[in-house]
Parts: sequence; C-alpha cells; structure tokens
Amino acid sequence: MKDMLEPENIANIPSHIDAELLDSVDVERFGASRPPGLSYQMGGCGIAGCIDLTGGRISGGVIARMLETMGERENGLGAGYACYGLFPEHRDDYCMQFFFDHETAKAEVEELLKGLGTITKDEKVFTQRVKSMKPPFPLVWRYFFRPNNKLEWRGRSDLSNDDFIVQLVMHINSELEGALCVSSGKDMAVFKGNGYSYEISKFYDLDRYSGQMWISHSRFPTNSPAWWGGAHPLSILDWAVCHNGEITSYGVNRKFVEMAGYRCSVLTDTEVVTYIWDLLVRKHRLPITAAAFAMAPWYHDDINRLDAESARLARWLRITYKEALLNGPFSIIVGKRQPEVTMITLADRKKLRPLLCGLSPDRKVAYAASEECAVRVVSPNAETWTPNAGSPMVAMAGRGVLRTGNELPFQGGV
Amino acid sequence: MAQTEAVKRRMELEAPERFMPVIDASLCKRCRKCVNECSYRALDFVDGNVRPAGGCVACGRCINVCPAHCIEIRQIPSQFPPHANFNERVRRAIMSQASTGGVLLTSCGTDIAYPVMFDEMVLDAAQVTNPAIDPLREVVETRTYVGGRKGRLRVNEKGPPYLDEDPGPIIAMDMPIMIGHISLGSVSYNAQKALFMAAKELNILAGSGEGGLHRDFLPYAKNVVSEIASGRFGVTGDYLKSTAAVEIKIGQGAKPGHGGHLPGEKVSAMISQTRMIPLGTDAISPYPHHDIYSIEDLQQLISVVKESVEYKVPVGVKIAAVHNVGAIASGIVRAGADFITIDGFRGGTGSTPRIIRDHVGLPIEVAISVVDQRLTKEGLRNRVTVFAGGSIRSSADMIKAIALGADAVMVCTAALVAMGCRVCQQCHRGMCSWGIATQREELASRLNPEVASARVVRLFRSWNEELKEILGAMGIDSVESLVGNRDRLRYFGPNSKIAEIMGVKHVGEGWG
Repeated sequence: MKDMLEPENIANIPSHIDAELLDSVDVERFGASRPPGLSYQMGGCGIAGCIDLTGGRISGGVIARMLETMGERENGLGAGYACYGLFPEHRDDYCMQFFFDHETAKAEVEELLKGLGTITKDEKVFTQRVKSMKPPFPLVWRYFFRPNNKLEWRGRSDLSNDDFIVQLVMHINSELEGALCVSSGKDMAVFKGNGYSYEISKFYDLDRYSGQMWISHSRFPTNSPAWWGGAHPLSILDWAVCHNGEITSYGVNRKFVEMAGYRCSVLTDTEVVTYIWDLLVRKHRLPITAAAFAMAPWYHDDINRLDAESARLARWLRITYKEALLNGPFSIIVGKRQPEVTMITLADRKKLRPLLCGLSPDRKVAYAASEECAVRVVSPNAETWTPNAGSPMVAMAGRGVLRTGNELPFQGGV
Repeated sequence: MAQTEAVKRRMELEAPERFMPVIDASLCKRCRKCVNECSYRALDFVDGNVRPAGGCVACGRCINVCPAHCIEIRQIPSQFPPHANFNERVRRAIMSQASTGGVLLTSCGTDIAYPVMFDEMVLDAAQVTNPAIDPLREVVETRTYVGGRKGRLRVNEKGPPYLDEDPGPIIAMDMPIMIGHISLGSVSYNAQKALFMAAKELNILAGSGEGGLHRDFLPYAKNVVSEIASGRFGVTGDYLKSTAAVEIKIGQGAKPGHGGHLPGEKVSAMISQTRMIPLGTDAISPYPHHDIYSIEDLQQLISVVKESVEYKVPVGVKIAAVHNVGAIASGIVRAGADFITIDGFRGGTGSTPRIIRDHVGLPIEVAISVVDQRLTKEGLRNRVTVFAGGSIRSSADMIKAIALGADAVMVCTAALVAMGCRVCQQCHRGMCSWGIATQREELASRLNPEVASARVVRLFRSWNEELKEILGAMGIDSVESLVGNRDRLRYFGPNSKIAEIMGVKHVGEGWG
C-alpha cells in the first residue's frame, strides 16, 4: 500500500510527549480487518467537540488543538475526528468512507455498491506519512453513493434508504474481509486511525477541512488491540459517537440492538451506543431528551418527584427500554445531521466520567470536552458549565444551545 | 395381634432404619416434649426413658424442642453390603416397591447429586477501568417490573413528550424475587399466610399455587399471582380479577408432564372448601389442560383469561424446563403471554412420583440461557418478563440466574427452610412436624405466621443486599443491566460444551 502514501511528513511531537516512550508500546496492529479473537474492547479516553451555532465553519485545526491538549488521556492506540457540514456539494449523497486492507477488498466493495446504486463520485481520502506512526496503514477511500430507486435488499423491498444503508454497512463490515465502512452519513465523514491524536490529525491533514461541527476522541485502551477500525468516532448513517467510558451492561445493550437487526462488527461499547441512538431516535422517533433518559435514567425513587405526566413517561421509558440503560461510567459526545447539524452530550447517571460544556463569548460556538483545558485552549474566555449527570446538552446549528443539561428531564425543546 | 402372612413378609424385608435419634440419658429431663412433638412417632417413652421407636426422618423437630439440648440425630451407616452400582438408594427403592407394588411418591426437589452449574460459574468485578459502586453509599437499584412490554414506546413528536396512558398492566417488585406457587393444601393455612405476609412486606409477588385463594387471604391479593392449573381448583372470575397477575400453569419442574397431586390425607374441610372438591379425596390434576392440546389452544386460553381480567393484570404461563424449552418459550411469547416462568428439574414439590422428579427435565441454568438466547434471536426478549426457578438456593444462584437471562427468580424451598423446613422429603405424607406441609390442625398450629413471615422477610432482604453488593462490585447500579449479561459470567467446570450452550465464556477468557 506504499503507493497510496504521500511524501513523508514528520509530525511535530508535542513537548509533553516523551519521544523515547513512543516506541515502548509494542502491540500487534490491525487495519480494516477485525483482530482475530476480539470479542469486546474497552478503555478510557478523552473527548472533545465544537459546533458553530450560526451555521459558520470551523477549521479542523481547532478540534485538533482541543483534543491534543488533553494528552494525558491517550496512549497512542487510537484517535479520531468526525466532521459535519463537510460536503455541501454532495449533501444528498451518502458519503461512505472506507478502510481497505488490500485492493481486493476495495474491488469487492465497489462491485457491490455499483450493483445497488450509483457512485456519483469517489476519491482517495488525503493521507500523508507521519514518521512516528507504525503500520499497517489501510487505504482510506470515499464514495458518494446514491442507492437505486427501486432498491431491494435480500428480497426485502420495504426498506427506507436509511435502513438500506444500515443493512449494507452491517453486511460489508461483518462479511467482507479487509473492508470496513467507517462512516456512511450524508454531508459528514469520520477521520480516525491508530495513533496519537496529533498523529491522526496530521495523517489526514485536518487543516484542509472545515465544517459546521467537529467531534473527536483520543483513546487510552487498557487491554484491546491497536486497531484502526476500533478507533472512535463510531458512526452509522449521520450518527457519530465519541465515548469515554466502559459500559458494564454491554452484553445487555448488545442484545437490545441485535434484536432490532443491528449486527455488531466493531465490538466496542461505543458501537452499541451509536446503534441505540439510531434505533431510539431515528427508528422509534423518540425526542432526544426521552432517548437520553432511556440510556441514563433517573433512579426509581427520584422519578416519583417528577410531575405526574413526566413520571409516567419516565417510568415507561425505564420499563420499555431497560435494555438500553447504559450502566457504568461514560461520557459521550454525539453528532447528528438531521434535521440540522446537532451536538449532544451525555454523561452517566452517577457522573463517573468527566464532561464539561462551553460557549464562546460571542455565543457563536459551543464546546464540549472531557476537561476544561480543551475549551480554554481555543476559547480562553468561554463560559463553561457542567451538565447534570444523565442530562443531555443539546446544541443545534442555526438554533443555539437548546438545552444546557441542567434542566429537568424532557425539558428543553428537543 | 394376628398378622397376615403378607404383612409378616413385608415386616421381615423392611429396609433398615436410616436415622437414629440418640438421647443422652444423663442430661435428659424426662419432659417428654420430644415424644409429644414427633409427628412421625419415632420416639417413645418407656420405663422412664426416651427411646427411639423407628421411622425417624431426621426432621429435627425433637432437637429443636429439647430444653436440655441432649438429642442428636445420627445417620446410621449403611447396613447394606457395599456395591457401587446397586447402591443403597437403588436397593431401598427396590425393597420399597416390592413391598408396595406402586409408584414411589416423594417430595421436595431431587436429592440426586447431579452437577449444579450455578456452582460452576464465577462472576466478574470492576477493576480500574470502571469503578466499583458501594451500595451503602450510592444508589444500586433492584426494582423489577413484571409484565408484557411492547418493545417500543410511542411518544408524541411535537411539544414536550408525554404518554396518554400506561401502555399495559405492569407490576413493580422491590427485588427480583418471587415466592413460587406453594398451594394451600400442599402447605398449611399458617404457612401460606406467612408467605403472603412476607410478600406484602417485601413488596414482591407470591404464587397462590393451584388451590385457589382462601377468602382470608384477599387482603394479600395485590401481592399474589393466581394460578390456573389443569385441575382448575378454586378458579373463579373474582379470584382471577382480585390478584396481581394470573399464571397458567402448564408444568412444574419437579414433575414435567405431570399434573398436581394433593394426597387425600391433606384434603381437610378447609381445603375442600377452597379447592371446591370433596373432603378427603385425592386432588389429582389432569396431566395436560384438557382445553390445551396445542400452542393455538394456549393462545386462546391466554386471550380468554385476558378478557376475563379485562386486561388489567399481566397474564403469564409457567412451564417445566424440558429439552425443547427455547422453542416452546418462543411459542408462548408469540401466543401473547406477558410473562413466562421456567421451572428447572431440581425444583421442589409437595408430592411427586420419584421417577419423574429424579429423571425428567432440564437444569434451570441451561434452560434460562437457552430461552434468553432464543427469544433474543427472534427479537422477542424485550416483550416478556422471564421468571426462573427450580432450586434457587442462595443469592449467588439468584444472581447467576439473572446474569444467565432471567428477569427475576422464583423461590420456594429456601423460603420454607427459612420457616423451619429441614428438607426431609416427607411433605406428601402430610405429617410435617414443623406445621408447614400438613393440614393437621395440631401440627399446623405449631407455625406462627408472624414469626415465620419475619424470617422469610429477613432472608430475602439479605439476599437483596447481597445482590446489591455484587452489582456494585461489577460496576452496575441497576439490576436490569445484569439480565442476560452473560459477559460477566465465566464457566469454571469440567464440561466446556455446557459453557458453549449457555453462551458463557470459560474462566481465563478476557474480553478480547
């Protein structure tokens, strides 16, 4: 795959990283293919996000600085970025971005896509050699894809375009060896890989992109392999999730999404969180506040303190979606594009992992991050606050911060 | 007294005694309390001394009442010549059947030493990457809802979200424990009252068993699951409507393929009235329900019952765990059951043919995971509440049953042991010296419902605390996140095929 790499470009290692230590992590590394025997991976992490509430654009350099500042939250085994509002000229096509381990996988995917719809454009995603990064380096390729009008998937002709894409991605990721679809939404893309956050931003040269919203993640995995596919954000359709935590209810949550037809191929708790958002909000049409409550509900005894109507809803969300409850420590930043580009943050109901939100002094840009330093480094005078445990912050392009995360459940106009 | 030849022959070949009460004469106060309390007449007072009279079942009542603490029950060493194949148990059965010529009856769960998979699994705990939770300082929830679910909640899409009405009947229990169906008839009035009192105090459910509900127990109806078994004893519209939930009993773990059996000795005037059957007659339920010969018949009965309770309480189905339990459970959910109770083959009973108790059915550990996996695969697991019973002996069994895939457990024998039962396996004789499995007034009055109920309450409260400790150690703060979370179990036994079937990894296997 050497031919796909751009001329050498050495990253500037930030001063707080001891360059000598970089070589000390000696683990087996994987590209698009799932590491053999992997059944679940976990880890601690840093997360950061920013959204321009006026519909303006933010350069990739901003999010890279936010994430890289939290250097102690990563150990070089994965980092990634998702950008929204990235391809205005292709905004009606699904942007399917892939890791390929070899040309055969790429050819197979292309053949599959051509049989099911139209590739309106495809291109190699720009990547450049970063000296400190270690192989493998999967080929990163992007297809703008439009499914056939009369689409059919395994004899089923009742699927919506979105459901069709979900099935297609599940199929590719679990069946096609050497290929992994890392993002499949419209007007968004995921840039991730195996390395430190500063290496990944350099590898993709994020400065060349700007979008309405960025969310990002750096990994500190404890016992899982260095795998490009396992890096965050995890994404399906226009959902992307960056997640710091370890879901102790993974086995239950996984059953929940699998019952609804999702197939887990990356085997991280974050993947399952992504599917739960898609299932609850897109398929079951729950408002964001209700979906967030299902994932991080109030305690039974506290529910009794709510007004009667809210208490009834809260109780039934817990009963109906008890398998969606995300137990254990987590804080997540979630991106979506429909109906507008939106950033959602959520922390577990005991607030065992950090999460902080911020708003620039001109109230144009909203931020979220694991640590305050990530906000201060790009907006020194930002107003910051911590959302309540289990309470979502919601910021929407064009509409502002709709919910700070300090309201009662189901309040906040979303 | 003249004895017939047959009786003489039987006497000569009677199997040797198994237990021997031994009284320390130097300490004995000669109060004769033990003699009076022994309902099996295994003690006698002769020449100023207490003497064993044969027939001791090791129920331990005499030990308990002796003010001098001078009674000990010895298990008599085997009086049979050693033989590993024709072991003592086998030879005793042959002798007994040669004497009686009948199907051997017994009670309680099987006493054969089958492997117990609960004891061959270990649980996970949180370390470093996620924090353990201290249930004494933090909230750890064990509330468990019982009833059908729709799998999806429909909320208005505009404006603040709300629900017009409850999507269906649902019951909240404070802990994932249900006291199983122990009928009035198999146990005494006082015993059932104690169980119902405990259920009410704990805010959990208790099964009525298949004997109907005594009118005195109506105040407990909101904690009672009524049962429609094949005999339909005591089933009336008012009975079903008054209780918290209705369960159609197809089978019982101790006797799959069999109906209930209440020996005539236990059908007293009170039982006759509650069950609506003649005094002193055996109450033998048909093996199948004679209106259920197929899954579609069951579906119709579920619909009829739901109509008759006006859709106000959940309606469930109880089955014995048998080899095809996954498919059967799936059919039951599709037939409209709101909950399903699976009873494993080690489960207890007040009376059953020994051949069935000891040799038919499926262990509950396997049954739970098979059902959970099957229902998940078919996208049905989030439509139904799954109870699992059949020898849940401790909180550890309960926790592992939940991790294997049960929403809650059904417990019977442990509750009876809390009240005094020593598992001597004589329930079918109706002579229970502890006043539990008997209808004899003088024996039943030995059980004080208040005292017995308090003991059951303390037992289950302690189990619930232990559940919270384990959940906290795992970094889980609500019990629903343990249901079917087989990732947090590891198999530590000799047969990895069992682990594979249960969907549990072997010890030593990490996350990946």
